[in-house]
Amino acid sequence: MQITFPNMGSAVYAFKALLESLGAEVVFPPPITKETIDLGVKYSPEFVCFPFKVNMGDFIRSIESGVTNIITATDFGPCRFGFYHAIQERILRDLGYDFRIIALPQGDLLEFKWLKTFDEVCELKGLAKISAGIKAVKLFLLKAKIIEDIENAEGKYRCREIYRGDTDRIKKELLERLDSTNNVAELSEFRKVIKAEFAKMDMNKDIEPLKVFVTGEIHVTLEPYVNRDMKKKLGNLGCEVTQTLSLYDWVIHKFHMNFHRKYMAQLAKPYMPLDIGGEAVWVLGEYIWAAQHGYDGFYHLYPFTCMPEITARGIITNKLFKQYNVPPLFVSLDENLAEAGLVTRLEAMVDLMQGKRKKNAKAKETMDSFMARESKGYIAEQHARQIKNKS
Amino acid sequence: MDSMVTVGMPRSLLYFKFYPLWKTFLEELGCTIVLSPRTNKNIVEKGVELGFNELCLPIKIYYGHVAYLLDHYPDLDYIFIPRYISLDPQGFYCPKFLSLPDAMRGNFEHLPKLLVWEVNAKEALKIQWAIKLGAKLGANVTRTTAAYQKAVKSYKDFKAVIKGGIFITKALNALEKGEPLPDPRDMQRHPITIFVLGHPYNVYEDYTTMNMLDKLEKMSVNVMALENVPSEEFKNRVKIGGKFDNYWGNEQEILQTSHYLFDGGRSAVDGIIFIISFACGPDSLIAEIVMRDMQAKKIPYMSLIVDEHSGSAGLETRIETFVDMIKRKKLGGAN
Repeated sequence: MQITFPNMGSAVYAFKALLESLGAEVVFPPPITKETIDLGVKYSPEFVCFPFKVNMGDFIRSIESGVTNIITATDFGPCRFGFYHAIQERILRDLGYDFRIIALPQGDLLEFKWLKTFDEVCELKGLAKISAGIKAVKLFLLKAKIIEDIENAEGKYRCREIYRGDTDRIKKELLERLDSTNNVAELSEFRKVIKAEFAKMDMNKDIEPLKVFVTGEIHVTLEPYVNRDMKKKLGNLGCEVTQTLSLYDWVIHKFHMNFHRKYMAQLAKPYMPLDIGGEAVWVLGEYIWAAQHGYDGFYHLYPFTCMPEITARGIITNKLFKQYNVPPLFVSLDENLAEAGLVTRLEAMVDLMQGKRKKNAKAKETMDSFMARESKGYIAEQHARQIKNKS
Repeated sequence: MDSMVTVGMPRSLLYFKFYPLWKTFLEELGCTIVLSPRTNKNIVEKGVELGFNELCLPIKIYYGHVAYLLDHYPDLDYIFIPRYISLDPQGFYCPKFLSLPDAMRGNFEHLPKLLVWEVNAKEALKIQWAIKLGAKLGANVTRTTAAYQKAVKSYKDFKAVIKGGIFITKALNALEKGEPLPDPRDMQRHPITIFVLGHPYNVYEDYTTMNMLDKLEKMSVNVMALENVPSEEFKNRVKIGGKFDNYWGNEQEILQTSHYLFDGGRSAVDGIIFIISFACGPDSLIAEIVMRDMQAKKIPYMSLIVDEHSGSAGLETRIETFVDMIKRKKLGGAN
């Protein structure tokens, strides 16, 4: 059975390992391009959140290339994500496509509802099926963890590279190597490979880069095409990027074994005592954690109008910022985000962080005007204006 | 605890749904309720100033109401802000309801104590949550239980009147003034019925809809809303595509209503207007399903997106055109 899934950055390599272990023939979705976004926007509800539209584009391109089995994750509330597959399926059926969409329930992985999906995908029988299932989970977790390690190294080293592009090249080589490695023993040693490869890179070891924390909604944060290659832009601007959010981080959380997230939720508790969907509660915890650990800036990426994330955003700008004073930059992503405006804002943020570090006389003033601009969300203004003009 | 406790209540969001329940319950526990006024220009402007752009309109308006209460009644003991997580074990409210008290705490510097009524059917029975709230007000279990039972009864009486076809807003006004609830049999009947679909805090928010319900009545059409649909229509959960169980409580009701409209209620209704507020997450998806269903069933359907900039002229023209089209279709006429 040929099967595909939506794009989500490097995480696709982990999904591939999972499905191949179950005996499926995996076809990667075509990489996201402008065509994907245009298709997605055209056939999605106008005001739905951005990942829905991007997935929609992925599905249409996959189906048109002849791969008609699609596997996609789902949840059971409270945000819009849980509805994705049901509504996408309806729209695609109305468009006349012939395909099968298989939902992979990940609401609570300890409920083991995903076993039913495994059963649907895997064509093996009896004991072979069980052993395939175990191997699938094992390889998936190992690879997801390695992808996280590679991306952590990427965030750490890009700001130090002497020849621009070295980090990208090494990351690409490592991911390709990971993709072709399916031996558990080798994968267990992969961390050493990552270390060795980056050790070969020419680096500027004496600099003290700005330390920034990047987080947000998982799809937009992990998919570089959607977040306009945020990590790379920040690295090239000289920022050392910490991003604890990854597919591994999420899956382990869904197995109730993510103690990092439990700690973040604990930090956030006075401001938000429960998980309201998305990454909201952990974003708040991470903001506090980043402030306590001397970070210079905080970047929050989310889809335009994302319900949980904008609630978190409001609490950061109006409450947490006043207590912790770490400048936050909010990037509200959708098809209308103008690249040039984003770059200007990123540069302004870097100036601000440097000024604050050097304790410039005007640092406070700059910060106030920066926050005044940021707290209202002017991307949304542009968007609202566009809608007005249309109607 | 019988010294009067004053509780400020924003006249917004779930007020339109649960006010009779909240009112009886809190009054039975010795509270005096201070309601903010109906949404007006100042409240919307204040809310827009406090919230930021991407927030949905109802939440911005909620900020406005809370700000009004803080400005005009600085001596309130509490502000009542519910946290409705779910009303049935499979369900959820949208994330903004889940975090309503947190969002308010996060945005106002000086709030009096919040009286948070948390309801989460996933974890405990509704009455257990009521007992928790009663404990915050210093009432014992017996007293709270009695108060809650009385509240549920008055909520049921209220719903019975609404099912007869009375607008929620009319019934709520009577309730606030302490007048008897209006009698559905006194209603005027017209040949055309328009169904106004949407969340109560969008449909009955006269300021943002530019008095749409009144306008429709003046155009000699009967107006019907979700709350007037018979109770038995809400018994079976609607599954999208026959298999996906819609988890949002509010949206489940909308889908159940839309199924009623193209099934049992088809003959009672001539057209449907779906009122959606700008940036409403759940509606962005559900409206897609409703639109596709209505198209497939060939029922006249129009969706109206309202935001704080809605211009009254554009809205009025669209409604008039829609109603005229339906009248021509049903009653014939010079054309």
